[in-house]
Amino acid sequence: MNEAFKHTRLAKAIVITILILGGFLMVLPFVWMILSSVKTDMEILQIPPTLWPKSITLQNFINLFTQMDFLVYLKNTIIIVLFSFLGLFFNAMAGYGFAKYKFRGKNGLFYLVLATMMIPGQVTMIPVYLMLNMVHLTNTLLGIALPGLVGAFGIFLFRQFMSTISDEIIEAARLDGCSEFYIFMKIILPVSRPVLAVQGILTFIAGWNSFIWPLIIANDQKYYTLSVGLALLKGQHASNYALQMAGSSFMVIPIVIVFLVLQKYILQGFNVSGMK
Amino acid sequence: MKKMSKTITAVLLSLVLILSFGLSGCSSSATTSGSSAKNKSITVWFFGDQPQPFQKLVKKFQKQSGIQVNVQAIPWANAHDKLLTAIASKSGPDVITMGTSWMPEFVKAGALADLTPYIKDNPNLKQSNFFKGSVATAEYNGKYYGAPWYVDTRVLFYRTDLLKKVGYSSAPKTWNELLDAATKLSKRGKGYYGLTIDPKEQSTAFMFARQNGSNLIENGKAQFNQPAFVGAINYMNQFIKQGATPKTDLGIDLTQSFGGKGIVPMFISGSWNINTINTTIPDVKGKWATAVLPKGKVNNKSILGGADLTIFQYSKNKANSAKLINYLSGTRAQMDWLKISTDVPAVTAAWENKALKDDPLYKTFGEQAKTAEPLPLVPQFEQIAQNELASWEKIYRSGADVQKTMDAFNSSSQKLLDQK
Amino acid sequence: MKIFLNKSSPYFFIAPALILLLLFSLIPIFVSLIISFTDINITGLADWSQIHFIGLENYISIFQDPNFLQSIGNTLFYVLFGVPLVIICSMGIALLINFGDSWIFRLFRLIFYAPSITNVVAVAVVWNYLYNPQFGLLNFLLHFVHLGPIPWLQDPTVAKIALIILALWRAIGVNMLIFLAALQGIPKAYYEAAMIDGANSWQRLTKITIPMLRFATFFVTVTTLIGWLQFFEEPFVMTGGGPLNSTNSIALFIYQNGFQFSKFGYAAAGSMILFVIIIVVTLIQFRGQQKNADNQM
Repeated sequence: MNEAFKHTRLAKAIVITILILGGFLMVLPFVWMILSSVKTDMEILQIPPTLWPKSITLQNFINLFTQMDFLVYLKNTIIIVLFSFLGLFFNAMAGYGFAKYKFRGKNGLFYLVLATMMIPGQVTMIPVYLMLNMVHLTNTLLGIALPGLVGAFGIFLFRQFMSTISDEIIEAARLDGCSEFYIFMKIILPVSRPVLAVQGILTFIAGWNSFIWPLIIANDQKYYTLSVGLALLKGQHASNYALQMAGSSFMVIPIVIVFLVLQKYILQGFNVSGMK
Repeated sequence: MKKMSKTITAVLLSLVLILSFGLSGCSSSATTSGSSAKNKSITVWFFGDQPQPFQKLVKKFQKQSGIQVNVQAIPWANAHDKLLTAIASKSGPDVITMGTSWMPEFVKAGALADLTPYIKDNPNLKQSNFFKGSVATAEYNGKYYGAPWYVDTRVLFYRTDLLKKVGYSSAPKTWNELLDAATKLSKRGKGYYGLTIDPKEQSTAFMFARQNGSNLIENGKAQFNQPAFVGAINYMNQFIKQGATPKTDLGIDLTQSFGGKGIVPMFISGSWNINTINTTIPDVKGKWATAVLPKGKVNNKSILGGADLTIFQYSKNKANSAKLINYLSGTRAQMDWLKISTDVPAVTAAWENKALKDDPLYKTFGEQAKTAEPLPLVPQFEQIAQNELASWEKIYRSGADVQKTMDAFNSSSQKLLDQK
Repeated sequence: MKIFLNKSSPYFFIAPALILLLLFSLIPIFVSLIISFTDINITGLADWSQIHFIGLENYISIFQDPNFLQSIGNTLFYVLFGVPLVIICSMGIALLINFGDSWIFRLFRLIFYAPSITNVVAVAVVWNYLYNPQFGLLNFLLHFVHLGPIPWLQDPTVAKIALIILALWRAIGVNMLIFLAALQGIPKAYYEAAMIDGANSWQRLTKITIPMLRFATFFVTVTTLIGWLQFFEEPFVMTGGGPLNSTNSIALFIYQNGFQFSKFGYAAAGSMILFVIIIVVTLIQFRGQQKNADNQM
């Protein structure tokens, strides 16, 4: 016992060392971005560059909110994110449908879903725009949210995970007379918590960073999102790096919070082992 | 109970979504674009940075005319996409600040309105008010599609202190002098150079070729493998061969190349650099200047770009739009914009203003703009220019044969020109 | 009632997502297919009467376009090296992070996920500096061990590898999360049983963990492969396809022709070809999985 304990302690130390080395490389650009956001414009362009800012300034963040309508963009972004969580729910439903039912045309329909993932996004841009324009949804937040609401990636991921849930639980619930939707809401979703957490993080990021549709659909700046606002900082000839870094850092804060909140669910496990 | 409410919410939400999609075709409440909303308001698409500067510029106009101006700023990288969707849907803005190089493409697509009928009421739009080269970017088949707004012309920026050290008390005046000065500057030591030739700048080769007597495109025939053009490429290549121009992208900003020790103390570029140098490298203050381009075999013409103020063909508010353009083409507004943005005026009268006439840095641009000419105004030029950059890359990086490469480039360009 | 519900319920579950996909993906794909047989350009976009059907002309000339052929070669290079690297690295890191649950491992989860949430603008600025041939951090570090300097983005082959490193760095986070989630689904009882049988940790890894991860691995493989076949953002922000067209990918080629040169028909033909390549590759994978796995699909 003692021997084994020592063994794991050593292994743990090795693992941590590897992770620290790798983690350093992974996190460096991220740290760089945060530190650069409090540097002056001149210091950012300096060669050789400084890692730690010589003098810390919050001017970039102040400029962000005074020079641009960042609060308006923030509001729009939050609305888009809320919409995208509705999309997440649809994805979960579809994933469950494909994972746990046998029905006519299942394979064909699933291949169709996958096919939508295989075409480069730029190709569909103009047709989708024309369709939304036809039904007068351009220049509305609904029009901005709709094209990216559901996605094959999400459906596919849910299907893969829900396939691993044992059929016995579902059958047992059916015998108890539960409705299909009740089973989905009360049994399937709770045991899918890890994958829901992963998808929740991904969905939040996608909504939070949404760029191309807000730009294309909006004919008024009052519908811009944060990413579009950030792109405005990139001029034709010169870019304001300090402001861009401040904007990027600001945008990352909510993502980190969501990640920290949701990540504990990833590790909660399916807890279906007893039934297998 | 909780479950029930959750279920109901979910079902309702999905219903709303599907219904709103199906029904909104019949609802009239949705507005499609800013163009028709109110007759007293117009929408401007402004490509570039933050919208505030432009909003500031039109403030006075709004007060005087009572016309509301909505400015929508659109990021540069996506300006083209945004214009395409506007054309496809035939709805969009009223006024567009259009880059001159995009004019041919969008004129051909019928996206822009002829301004001729509006000149009578808006005298500032008259073609004779602007630089000749700028007007050329807006006139097609006898029609006039945009009033020049600002000009972007390229001049020589150089470090006076470093050029003095190699025997040039004023800027190089001819091609030979430019090459000589650049070569001498590169002899200062390892890692030093003389002149920047930006490998991503589309206009450079065409500019040199024109100075060497090339007409670039004559009656629809590409002239890119003719002696005048090939000579210009050979001239550029000499800078590379003699080490006067870095062979690979140094990956450094203007701050490092032009500031301090002046790794590359000469470059050819536009007026926005004045501001950049003043704000990011104040340590070279008083040690640099601008000069008109050195003369080649035939002339010292520069490239002329910039932006034109255009009216979207599908705008329902053309008269008011013309009023706004009239305002922006006034000397006062042109000078205001210079102060806000450092873009230099396209209106020749503005150059009589002291702020421009007496500023040695800016004066150069006015002088250069008088003779400057735009790049060939054909819709295919964007792609031709990209192919030129690729051909030039093959020459200076991999040492491809100049004549052969230009022959290939010429025939690929001809193919593009022959497409309708 | 119950029987009715049972029969229609799968359709009830998949309908909302399918309707939206139909509208915003499948119909546009069909539209692209049609325009790939036309000469539509910006003039045609404004005035539909200017569009002409030209049959297979776009497809014939795109296969004679040296830039397109080169971009296919480049994309294959990316896929060949990128896909295995992403799978191995993200699975490896997920296994390492799954080793413990103390605060330090939780911190590592965030650290390894950080690249995925960094805005692409910031990514481009920082990596351009890292790869800077003269002043970049990477060459600075290599200098210490008497190596380099490496022309990261200047040499045609090195530039491809540099982009792969960057894309790998960005891709690890998401896939690591997927593997981590999947690792939680492996019943602890399996390991306990194996311990009693005297299996060592290597045997437990290869006999239990990796086989049990097959659903996640399959998912990551399929999506990663599709992602790399559509490789776009990294060359777009870092190199624009250069030097000498050596980092241009198929997706970037399509973008350049469609949105920079407004040759929509030509670009649509390119995307249909890419579409077919991806479908074929994905079908091969599903076939492979079908043979291995029990009842999927």
